[in-house]
Amino acid sequence: MTRGDKFLLAGLLLIALLSVAVLYGRLSFFPAKTESVQAVITAQGKLVRKIELVEGVKSSFVIRGLGGPSTVETDGARIRMLEAPCSGQICVKEGWIGHPGQTIVCIPGEILIRIEGTAAVDAVTR
Amino acid sequence: MKAAGTRRLVFLALLVAMATALHVVEGMLSIPLPIPGAKLGLANIITLLTLYLYGFRAGLKVSLMRVVLGSLIGGMFLSPGFLLALTGALFSTVVMAVLLKHTSCFSMIGISLAGAVGHNLGQLLAACLLLQSSAIFYYLPVLLIAGIPTGFITGFLLNSLIAHDKKSGILRDFLRA
Repeated sequence: MTRGDKFLLAGLLLIALLSVAVLYGRLSFFPAKTESVQAVITAQGKLVRKIELVEGVKSSFVIRGLGGPSTVETDGARIRMLEAPCSGQICVKEGWIGHPGQTIVCIPGEILIRIEGTAAVDAVTR
Repeated sequence: MKAAGTRRLVFLALLVAMATALHVVEGMLSIPLPIPGAKLGLANIITLLTLYLYGFRAGLKVSLMRVVLGSLIGGMFLSPGFLLALTGALFSTVVMAVLLKHTSCFSMIGISLAGAVGHNLGQLLAACLLLQSSAIFYYLPVLLIAGIPTGFITGFLLNSLIAHDKKSGILRDFLRA
């Protein structure tokens, strides 16, 4: 091993450690915005409500659909249709949703609940 | 073709075969680290040996043919992984050739280290272009650190080979024109 090798090795180690410090230090001091998940609710094609789904917060509210009022419930990062006046009850049976891209649709009431946000990774393949 | 040219062709083909074998075997080994992209870089031994014996153009040919053949055998020809490997091989070969030809202060260890780091940089650059995202550069420190021991090991092996050659002349057949 020559002097040049040693300098190169030391230099590379230094650069590696510095870049670790800079990149991950920046991440820990200025963390990337935490993933925000929103539920967007539309009725008859019009936006009626947009709510942040925040962990630990519960709420419920009423959306006026075509067939009458429907009750929507949120619990932390998930949301469901609690009650609906329609006969099929498909939206209620859908249960809780909380992942970006998931939807609950009520055809008779023309209500659409859609989760928006940065999608988490489903799987990693090598 | 003259005898010297034929001899060179045969030895280059041998080197390509060895590099391809190493490339494929290496693809079968799974490293017990959760770092996709980190590899031992065994095929780099042959690239550097070719550069040492026959110069830049031969080294480039051997490393590019190794990537193409290895990925054909491994079944990932023209896949994203293939493009990463190709760019990495290109970068490391160029870096090592420049250091080998224009500097004298490095042994094979230093050159191999620079080659390993060049390989990882090239890979990241290709990944950055493929994904259209520079966020992948957060991965740089990981690959830099992973490249240091593997570059060191390949360089050490070559140093031993060349030291052995000085005594016994095992590489002399390659160069006998």
